[in-house]
Amino acid sequence: MPAGQAAATAVSEERYRSLGRADRQAERSHLLRNLKRFLLDNRLNLVGVCIVGLFIILSLFGEVLAPHDPYAQDIMGSKLRAPSLEHPLGTDELGRDVLSRVMTGTRISLQVAVVVLTFAVSFGTLIGALSGYLGGLADEVLMRITDMFLAFPALVLAVTIAATLGKNLTNTMIALSTVFWPWYARLVRAQVLSIKERDFVTAGRSLGLSPSRLLLRHILPNSVSVVIIQLTLDVGYAILATSSLSFIGLGAQPPSPEWGTMLSDARSYFRDAWWYTTFPGVALTLTVFAFNVLGDGLQDALDPRSSRR
Amino acid sequence: MLVRLLVRRLLFLVLVLFGLSLITFTLSHLVPANPARLIAGPRASAATVEKIRKQQGYDKPVMVQYVRYVKGVVRLDFGDSTATRRPVKDDLRRYLPATLELGLSAFVLSTVVGVPLGVISAVKRNSWIDHISRFVSISGLALPVFWLALMAQFLFFGKLQWLPDGERLPAGIDPPRTITTLYTLDALLTANWAVLKEAVTHLLMPVGVLAYGSLAVVTRMVRGGMLEVLNQDYIRTARAKGLENRPVVVRHALKNALLPTVTSLGLQVGLLLSGAFLVEIVFSWPGIGRYAVNAIEKVDYNAIMATTLIVAFVFVLMNMIVDVLYLFLDPRISFS
Repeated sequence: MPAGQAAATAVSEERYRSLGRADRQAERSHLLRNLKRFLLDNRLNLVGVCIVGLFIILSLFGEVLAPHDPYAQDIMGSKLRAPSLEHPLGTDELGRDVLSRVMTGTRISLQVAVVVLTFAVSFGTLIGALSGYLGGLADEVLMRITDMFLAFPALVLAVTIAATLGKNLTNTMIALSTVFWPWYARLVRAQVLSIKERDFVTAGRSLGLSPSRLLLRHILPNSVSVVIIQLTLDVGYAILATSSLSFIGLGAQPPSPEWGTMLSDARSYFRDAWWYTTFPGVALTLTVFAFNVLGDGLQDALDPRSSRR
Repeated sequence: MLVRLLVRRLLFLVLVLFGLSLITFTLSHLVPANPARLIAGPRASAATVEKIRKQQGYDKPVMVQYVRYVKGVVRLDFGDSTATRRPVKDDLRRYLPATLELGLSAFVLSTVVGVPLGVISAVKRNSWIDHISRFVSISGLALPVFWLALMAQFLFFGKLQWLPDGERLPAGIDPPRTITTLYTLDALLTANWAVLKEAVTHLLMPVGVLAYGSLAVVTRMVRGGMLEVLNQDYIRTARAKGLENRPVVVRHALKNALLPTVTSLGLQVGLLLSGAFLVEIVFSWPGIGRYAVNAIEKVDYNAIMATTLIVAFVFVLMNMIVDVLYLFLDPRISFS
């Protein structure tokens, strides 16, 4: 490339970038304003944020904050005790404190959600971006493979994979990653397809930006909000799916205080110990509910095109 | 054109099943469990295990084994279950009707309740019935179906003692003469009222619990569809013509509002199938969900793979039917 042309390219790229910066700044303040409205206008969103906040705090410090050791058994002294001041949510069949176990269980749920969704988002984004950007045969092949994974009821596919690999939490995470990524691949592909036709991408291309740079720095950052909405909804579903698998006997194994595992143990005592079957389920329901509400709210706030009402 | 669409969907169905069999087969061969040892039992001698290994073809190369497996599956031969020691095919025939009865009843219930609930809550927006329907659609997506099952069991069996805790019929009562394999229908057809009453009371709780999730989906879809349609010009025209409220809602609006709900049928079938796995365990319902979970506990690969294939088959087939149905229902979509 002649020196003059290179300089011109550099200058216009600088201008192009500064344009992008102004755009991004405008978008950021727009986002903040939306966020404020998001929390104050809809009380349900506020409830969602509070529960999610509590959930995250508990998953980080739950074990420290718990009043008792979640694993400490007391078979002689306090087996299946009803809620009391000493044990606000009662005790289980081995005399363990249900509250402490529910609190500690948050960490396992969050851990699974983080691992599974990190994989799902990165792999799904990779496939979706390649598929949308390259188009043609690559798109066709990648999407047919993706469709195949979407063609099963997710939970059943996860059950099969986890069951064939063997019963433990790691295999459950692998199984869940397998069922969550295709959604992101579809989502990102659709975004890339529409964004790559926009003027700023054409401008970038005419400046000679490399395809990988266009994709990574210009197209993908514009798909982030859609992915975040889906991600928020999926945290709830990933936690629910983990508990479902643990309830079946896959996933977390006793004595783990994972909520589904606790409920699976509690099944045998549902007549004598209502607290044992009730509270892990309440925790699970509230968590899933909060992430659902938050995802729905985010969709309304971040995606002006969606008019869901 | 329709034929071409059908052929394409059928090809996809075959491809999906082939893919699934490949996934499960590969996975089960990555795991270092010795299937021959599982069949022979822990106390069998090494010679017996070796004999079974040869007999079952486990000593052949993986590719050969896979081809053999697929050849079997095409003839609905899934091999023997290592847990029940019967052909998996016979087990499936025994357990499938229970799941079918559970799933179909839940489907009917969620439609019969969900469609009117969605319509009324859209027409009477912000009334108490609208609040109920919105509560149902939010809670239905967040409530873990297995926990709902446990809570229902605690309340209706444990506390109130209104309903039995599980199984299809009480011990000692013989199932009705087999016509359709569905106990309630067979009892009805053979006018066996005593059995019918038992079959229905045993069905109530599992069906109610299983239906709740798809009820949420149906209500949400119908309500949303109705709200959108009710705002359109042709509805205003119909009202302007002086039509009463009921024909406008039922004949003009509902017909179009139901279209998106039909698309969600596929989603519902998925919910019902996965829900059946969880609900059947809680209520000791002798269906393929419980069969699969037992198979998982006993590391019974043939049974696990067979149930997954069956479930996937039903799911893909239902989605295919929905696609075709949609073409017939929506004249705006052409066959091409």
